[in-house]
Amino acid sequence: MNRLKADKSAFVPTKTGKKRHRLSRALICLSYFLVLFPLLILFVWSFTGRWSWPHLLPETFSARALGELFGGYSGAVQVLLSSILLSTAVALIAIAVSVPAARAIVLTAFWGKDFLKFIVLLPVIVPATAFAMGVHMLFIRVGLSDTVVGVILIHIILCLPYTVRIMSEVTAATGDRLEAQARVLGASPKKTLISITFPLAMPGIISAFCMAFIVSFSQYFVTLLIGGGTVTTYAMFMFPYIQSGDRTIAAAYSLLFVLSTLLVFIVLERRIKKYYNIEDVFFFS
Amino acid sequence: MKLKRVAALLLALILGFTLFISGCGRNAAPPQNQKGFDAVVSAAKGTTVNFYSWGGDEKINKWIDTVLAKNVKDNYGITLKRIPMDDTQTAITKLMDEKQSGVDKGSIDMLWVNGENFYTAKENGLFYGPFTAELPNFQKYIDQDSDDIKYDFGVTVDGMEAPYAKAQFVFINDSSVTPETPKNAQELLEYAKKYKGKVTYPAPPDFTGSVFVRQIIYDVVGYDKVNAAGTDKEKIKAAIQPAMDYLKELKPYLWKEGKTYPASSGQLDNMFADGEVVMDMNYDPNTVAAMIDKGTVKDTARDFIFDKGMIGNTSFLAIPANAPNKEGAMAVINAILTPELQASKYDPSNWGALPVLDNNKLSDSEKQLFDKIPLGKGVIPQSTLLSKRQPELPASVVPIIEEIWQSEIPNK
Repeated sequence: MNRLKADKSAFVPTKTGKKRHRLSRALICLSYFLVLFPLLILFVWSFTGRWSWPHLLPETFSARALGELFGGYSGAVQVLLSSILLSTAVALIAIAVSVPAARAIVLTAFWGKDFLKFIVLLPVIVPATAFAMGVHMLFIRVGLSDTVVGVILIHIILCLPYTVRIMSEVTAATGDRLEAQARVLGASPKKTLISITFPLAMPGIISAFCMAFIVSFSQYFVTLLIGGGTVTTYAMFMFPYIQSGDRTIAAAYSLLFVLSTLLVFIVLERRIKKYYNIEDVFFFS
Repeated sequence: MKLKRVAALLLALILGFTLFISGCGRNAAPPQNQKGFDAVVSAAKGTTVNFYSWGGDEKINKWIDTVLAKNVKDNYGITLKRIPMDDTQTAITKLMDEKQSGVDKGSIDMLWVNGENFYTAKENGLFYGPFTAELPNFQKYIDQDSDDIKYDFGVTVDGMEAPYAKAQFVFINDSSVTPETPKNAQELLEYAKKYKGKVTYPAPPDFTGSVFVRQIIYDVVGYDKVNAAGTDKEKIKAAIQPAMDYLKELKPYLWKEGKTYPASSGQLDNMFADGEVVMDMNYDPNTVAAMIDKGTVKDTARDFIFDKGMIGNTSFLAIPANAPNKEGAMAVINAILTPELQASKYDPSNWGALPVLDNNKLSDSEKQLFDKIPLGKGVIPQSTLLSKRQPELPASVVPIIEEIWQSEIPNK
């Protein structure tokens, strides 16, 4: 039976092709829907007063979330901007650490390599609260508690498991043969770095940046514990509302959270594409 | 060989680190403030006060950011910085870590706290004080002999925190949905039978779920009997058994037949707003007005209380022992205890928190500040609430009751 079917389809390839085409389009539409529909709900909730069962649409609308976010008194917008700055700094430093670390892990052999790989993953393995309290005790001792540097450091530590992992995969995929080739052909180490190493690593760097940015941008507990009052972040404003169940305010905060993250990613990608003059690689736009 | 060396090295490192940690700890005694309040005010001028405050309510946050911040800026030249928390325990954890490491200059100047967190902080010497006696407005406006001021969940305050707001537990329903307002636990059971599957309460240890269970205990057993049982788990269990039997009887009529409970007060508020349940409850009697004002429920929603009375508590403001700006915090707390700010805080369009000042100590014009504030929609008048006020149980008993509920109710 199966064979017969297979034979039949072999004779009419276009029809199956069309079917496949339709299927893939349906899948694409479905994934768009799965991503965009929750965002749409967040958008509607941001302006909802009352929306009780069984109403399909909100019964009343309210602008109180707009007042909270943009009314000026809560300071949400300033905090959003400073949080973006903080998380960008964290992501950049995390990458600056991860790229050489990943190269060392993948391309060289050294004593204790497996142990190092394991250590890097620890922040995601150890329960977050226990980990944060341990780091807090240590930071108090070395004078990093209640400082911006301390907050940046703890965020970086939490980002490293992801960024090192991503950069290791990318480094393993590209290897160092092209670099060797460039050196053989007479390129200086600097030239090799700029013309070969960075462009090859760039897709990985962008993924790692995004991951690190998101990890840092959504930290709440450690920022409060390590930073004290010196650093207030957007997540610190947002989480109490999510926890207390104020859906209108929480939805508005979350929506702005998602949109500003997306904006950062798009700006980053545009800049990098422009710098490297690449058009055929698509990350976000 | 190699492995052994690595192990030895690791062990040495761990040992060294532990010694380092334990060696560094030293106890910082809170400095005794001998200066008069004028000196406090002049020292506070131009400083910043970091106020750690639960940040889950838009109205409270707005009141702090606008009214309170402006008031202390104008009167004392202080910049108030609000640090939002989703759980006050985070601040207590931070103070504990700092205490263990002997940090005598932390980052928290002022903290909104009560109940178990105050108990933990007091037991561990995390707070500065006693300081309330030094505040002119505390002397002038507060009834220092009232239990609401002297005790915080059964723990003596001893001047280690100043009252901020009073709260009292209330039930909420919508008169257009259910006209009845149960007046005792028995009537609540009938109510739950009538609206089967549409009544529930948050699962303790949620703050509100926990006080609901205590409220049932008060109504079925009585405050005196539970309080007399002390802190022994077996004795408490024996004392509250009739209340546990009541909750078991209530269980099959609850939402999802009592097999599961909302995890938080916020979730129950949302379920009530959505019409999924017909009854809500909150430790803040003004919540209903706030919900009507926000538009999440209809204006036919209202508070109701049991005839025997409802549990009330006071929330407080404390200054950590390692606060970098104790003078600033004291000045802000003194400002909060003025009739102007207490009245503004009482206004339901701002926050709606019950004031902590003693009405007998207010002048006529000061009394008017409170009298002219309209009662929030659906809210029971303050005088009725206060006449039906029952004290909280000691903070150490609360978790024991939560444990008993956990083992007796959900899975049986």
